[in-house]
Amino acid sequence: MRRLAAVAACALLGTPAWAQLDIGRLIDYGRKAVDAGSKLQEANKDFTQDQEIQLGEGITAGLLGAAPLSTDANLQRYVNRVGRWVALHSDRPDLPWTFGVIETRTVNAFAMPGGTILVSKGLVDRLGSESELAGALAHEIAHVVKRHQLAAIQSSLNSDVLSSIGKDVASEAINRRGGDAFGLKSQLAGVGIDALKNGVFLRPLDRSMEYEADRMGVIIATRAGYDPYGLPGVLELLGTVHGDGSGISIMETHPAPSDRLAELEKVMPAVDGYANQPRLEGRFLQVVGRAK
Amino acid sequence: MTMRFLRLCLAAAFLSLPLAAWSQDQAFTNRATELKERADAASATLVPLPENTAVKVLARAGAWTRVEAAGRPGFVRVFHLRFPATVEAAGSGSSNPFAAFGSLIGGSKSDAHANLATTGVRGLSKEDVKNANPDAEALKRMQSYRADKPAAERFAREGKLAAVKVADPDAGSTKGSAR
Repeated sequence: MRRLAAVAACALLGTPAWAQLDIGRLIDYGRKAVDAGSKLQEANKDFTQDQEIQLGEGITAGLLGAAPLSTDANLQRYVNRVGRWVALHSDRPDLPWTFGVIETRTVNAFAMPGGTILVSKGLVDRLGSESELAGALAHEIAHVVKRHQLAAIQSSLNSDVLSSIGKDVASEAINRRGGDAFGLKSQLAGVGIDALKNGVFLRPLDRSMEYEADRMGVIIATRAGYDPYGLPGVLELLGTVHGDGSGISIMETHPAPSDRLAELEKVMPAVDGYANQPRLEGRFLQVVGRAK
Repeated sequence: MTMRFLRLCLAAAFLSLPLAAWSQDQAFTNRATELKERADAASATLVPLPENTAVKVLARAGAWTRVEAAGRPGFVRVFHLRFPATVEAAGSGSSNPFAAFGSLIGGSKSDAHANLATTGVRGLSKEDVKNANPDAEALKRMQSYRADKPAAERFAREGKLAAVKVADPDAGSTKGSAR
């Protein structure tokens, strides 16, 4: 089993895309070491809510290793209150919703299975109101509610080779730690970490998922009592943000903000009547330290 | 062994982050529209704006955007504007490690501002990325900031946020009644 883990890891090392994996070699070792049929069956099972949460925790721990959590406790509590209030108006109000601000000037936000959401300090610094923050969080909450990331993970795991690699490498790591994957004490957290390192997230979410999360995000934020134009405002902001090319972009596989705004415009008549709901610029600017 | 592999794989993943961003203030009308005096459809029209009129974005204001157009300030509906570009796409989309997270930003490699020159790392440094390890302690700290339902409801009352019923056009659900 150790050999399988090592081979899998070696194959993954330095391979930025699945296409470059030495699949033949992996299949060879995989067939000898595991019962691929039973693994595939396991991968095809739906994740329980607890498993979904554990999976998300593993992925989040991996991300937090690279982008540190902001030490601004006041900001963290504030983002959690906004996020939880918005999530209460979703179809999964009772998940252990957890929100975090990470210290990076990158402008982005990420949703993990099970209700963990990260927003970058770079994004928070560019927002102008609580309704925009609520809109951004609502988009991410919608991804979790619709289990979009889980679908992507399951899609990737629905290959006997990949499921064997992912789960066996995770099991190997966990076994060596007495069932404790990086202190998270759950096997699924290990799978989440593996999913991250194995590149399961290389696959983009379907464009339709992004549009769906935009539509649902606007609805959820409006239900929570915010100005429905918070998320459109964030997309407008993203439309005027430019990168400097110092990294490989997350942009290419996602619809452009202008396209998303065009799609979102179709749903706005349903919420236009709520356009006078609060934006709460003052409370937001005070918390982020930009109050005049 | 596994830890070493994990560090290296995380490093490879995070090299793919969009590392910096800055604001730009130009937009174009995406249809024939009007520059309004106030953020209100009933307010006076200052000047008609043909499709593809360049405007300078001054501020976001809910359903409206405060702009400068034809040399004068005013307001245009946010949906009547298109924005020229987003963060450039410097590499292959297949290298994007976060695509499946449901990340907030979208974009297109056909954007006019693609392939901007690198001007320096303003976000995560490559050294940060190289040294990354799963951080379970940070996860626990993050979870300590969670808000429970009563706290969220109290927070909403303080902000005078009132829940309303809105049907989901995709599902027909009207969740969100008074809570």
